[in-house]
Amino acid sequence: MSESDLGRKWDRCMADAVVKIGTGLGLGIVFSLTFFKRKMWPLAFGSGMGLGMAYSNCQHDFQAPYLLHGKYVKEQEQ
Amino acid sequence: MVSRVWSLMRFLIKGSVAGGAVYLVYDQELLGPSDKSEAALRKAEEVLPPAVYQFSQYVSQQTGLQIPQLPAPPKINFPIRESWNSGIIKVMSALSAAPSKAREYSREGWEYLKERTK
Repeated sequence: MSESDLGRKWDRCMADAVVKIGTGLGLGIVFSLTFFKRKMWPLAFGSGMGLGMAYSNCQHDFQAPYLLHGKYVKEQEQ
Repeated sequence: MVSRVWSLMRFLIKGSVAGGAVYLVYDQELLGPSDKSEAALRKAEEVLPPAVYQFSQYVSQQTGLQIPQLPAPPKINFPIRESWNSGIIKVMSALSAAPSKAREYSREGWEYLKERTK
């Protein structure tokens, strides 16, 4: 991976993290106000889910060039 | 009877608000792959300042108040990335040169002391 590729991947990771955490927080606010009596835990849950999704995406992005893909080949009994 | 209808109405309204939010997230693919959410962020960055401006115009028209024009934010051309990178490089080269430099300085100090005590 070249330096500029790495920089672009990091930029994408940060933007993705911002969007996902914000979305999770927003959904948490909506659900907290509508169904969960203005408690705090939906916000924490939603933003935590967003953070986890963003981390997983980032991890996959960085590992993608080095992942090996294989498939099982059944032994042919002769 | 009326209270039951009212509570059902309230539940339906809340459900539609929450369902609408979930559908919006699904439609804009905000929780999808990273390039889609990056595109959504770019779109929001473009759309937001004109929308805020129009909203402030609308509010000032309706209320008759004149919202004072905020000065434009200063364009900071400070390259954080370059200064951070050069800072890291300087720190690491100083750390890698530290043992030899320490040896040299202690040797010079020892020579100086020997000269003084002669």
